[in-house]
Amino acid sequence: MKDQETGQDPFQEKINNLKPEDLRRAVELFEKKIHHEYAAYLQSCVRCGLCSDSCHYYLTDKDVKSVPAYKLNLVAKVFKKFDSLIEKTVPGMTNAEALTTAMVEEWVDSLFGRCTLCARCALNCTMGINIPYLIRTARGVLASLGLVPSGLQSTVDTAVREGNNMGIAKQDWIETVEWLEEELRAEVDDPEAKLPMDKKGTKIFYTVNPREPMFFPLSIVAVGKIFYAAGESWTFSSENYDVTNYGLYSGDDGAAGTMSGRLLKSMEDLGCQTLVLAECGHGFNSNRWEAPEWLSKEYGLEVKSILEVVADYIREGRIRLDPSKNPEVITLHDPCNLVRLGGIVEEQRVILRHAAEKFVEMSPNRTKNYCCGGGGGQLAMTRFASRRLKTGKLKADQIKKTGAKIVATPCHNCIDQLMELNKHYKMGVEIKTVCEIAADALVIDGKKKMAPMAEKH
Amino acid sequence: MLDLLRYGVVLSFFISIFSLVILIWRTFSYGRRRVHAASAGEARRGVAYALGRGMMPWEKESAQKHLPTYLAGVIYHFGVFSGMFYLFSLVVPVVLPALFLEILRVLVAVGLLCGVGLLIKRLTLGYMRAISCADDYVSNALVNFFLVLVLLDSFHLNLRSLLFLVTIILFTYIPAGKIRHCFFFFYSRILFGQFYGRRGVLSQK
Repeated sequence: MKDQETGQDPFQEKINNLKPEDLRRAVELFEKKIHHEYAAYLQSCVRCGLCSDSCHYYLTDKDVKSVPAYKLNLVAKVFKKFDSLIEKTVPGMTNAEALTTAMVEEWVDSLFGRCTLCARCALNCTMGINIPYLIRTARGVLASLGLVPSGLQSTVDTAVREGNNMGIAKQDWIETVEWLEEELRAEVDDPEAKLPMDKKGTKIFYTVNPREPMFFPLSIVAVGKIFYAAGESWTFSSENYDVTNYGLYSGDDGAAGTMSGRLLKSMEDLGCQTLVLAECGHGFNSNRWEAPEWLSKEYGLEVKSILEVVADYIREGRIRLDPSKNPEVITLHDPCNLVRLGGIVEEQRVILRHAAEKFVEMSPNRTKNYCCGGGGGQLAMTRFASRRLKTGKLKADQIKKTGAKIVATPCHNCIDQLMELNKHYKMGVEIKTVCEIAADALVIDGKKKMAPMAEKH
Repeated sequence: MLDLLRYGVVLSFFISIFSLVILIWRTFSYGRRRVHAASAGEARRGVAYALGRGMMPWEKESAQKHLPTYLAGVIYHFGVFSGMFYLFSLVVPVVLPALFLEILRVLVAVGLLCGVGLLIKRLTLGYMRAISCADDYVSNALVNFFLVLVLLDSFHLNLRSLLFLVTIILFTYIPAGKIRHCFFFFYSRILFGQFYGRRGVLSQK
């Protein structure tokens, strides 16, 4: 990304200006980040090449640099340089390489620019190597060098500084929720309906993606409507409500821990029982699975996806859905962090089967689904935007084949990418969250007939 | 001389085992990771899947899409295990029943063909060359040569000294190169099964 005035790329300049001691410190950090599982994985790749066709990057660009084994071996080469005995005896035998500025450049290009950390390669690896986690570890090393691509880094910085990644001021958040509360009251025809804020001792502490209050406020009303129908005890926090955690993508464990730790603290301060995460793939992986590791702490409380909560309402009969309110053909995109890395596979299907008349699966689906191309922080890294759109062709083709008019996806990152793909590949679909579709189908006894949620993405 | 080489094979086998133990110790010296997140699925079910059904081509798209390579890999390994069994019979020594020897020859021969096929694939496909290093070629060539010698020796050609010599080199090389996956394959699959099993991603049935 060249500066328009100077014609220079400040990011590239930063790489060129790395000093030997910077690289030495980076390798020391890398060694520190390796535990025995990663050390085992880094010695396991037999370079069979079977992983190649599992990666949406390689499938769309056919560039060897996109082969997962190639990307993994960029990391393994540096590891072998300080670990491999044979390399010390017969240099060049394993292609071990020191971390040089050239290698750093390649790490940035391949590990940030050719990977969404979607884990499809891991599930397809002959050896079972957890490739995305090794790539994330190397991203963390780049983060220590200040080499996270600017858009992604600024998202992390904003979240750490402001408490949410969009930099929404506390007063603005409170006022938005108050306005949305009025919307909810109109929707359910009940002047007592609430979007509770800072309510102590509730069962559920609910988090949102800051893109919801900024751009998709009716996603919040949709969930509020479901909670209302279920008679749930729940609250927002006025301080910490951001489910996202771009530290997962930048590899910066410190920043990631800070962000997730805030949610936990607010929840503990309010004395709530269950941390419920909005429809956000990486937010779920971060706060459900990774945050306890970043914070070295067992949570001792439940962490759930909103999809688990809503699916339970349906199973328990706490809410009723009328599928005739969603007569169009609906398909589902599985966010990688939620499904392949998060284990939330069937809940969204339970909801959609009850909420829609015609629900069709993409092929492949569930844990085998293709990444939309928007994960791994790609949406924030403008320098790799053209690659991101190119890799999305696979998803666009998958969606077109279903013949669906609506694509449901429980992730705002995926929604943003799918919206771009929708325009770019002329898919002609509408993109919605799962809860928006469920809210459209809600039957609230004794109240006026619900109008479908008007929001369209 | 032959006896000396036979002892050499036994010695190199133990050196290989010892070196692998050192390698494993070095791997564990990077430190264990305590997992704090509450489990959603059963790790042991994930491991069972990873070591069983999860390796089948109908479960794994990469194996489906590269079925000839996948099958060649499986058959190659059967050939190697058969070759090792033949070697064991020479070192102990025991005389193998004729039918058993015939089956063994077929397995080694087919395994060898697959091994050569995989080497040709690595040499000819651009993306394979891009991900390969010298170790990949040396390991494959060494094992293929071992299988050739096993096959020829089984037909009573006077190559036993050379077979023992190549075996000594092979055993010594195992911990140094990619053939160390004889241990790491199982360990990685277990770690993979535990990780995705805990998360309820892999089959919990």
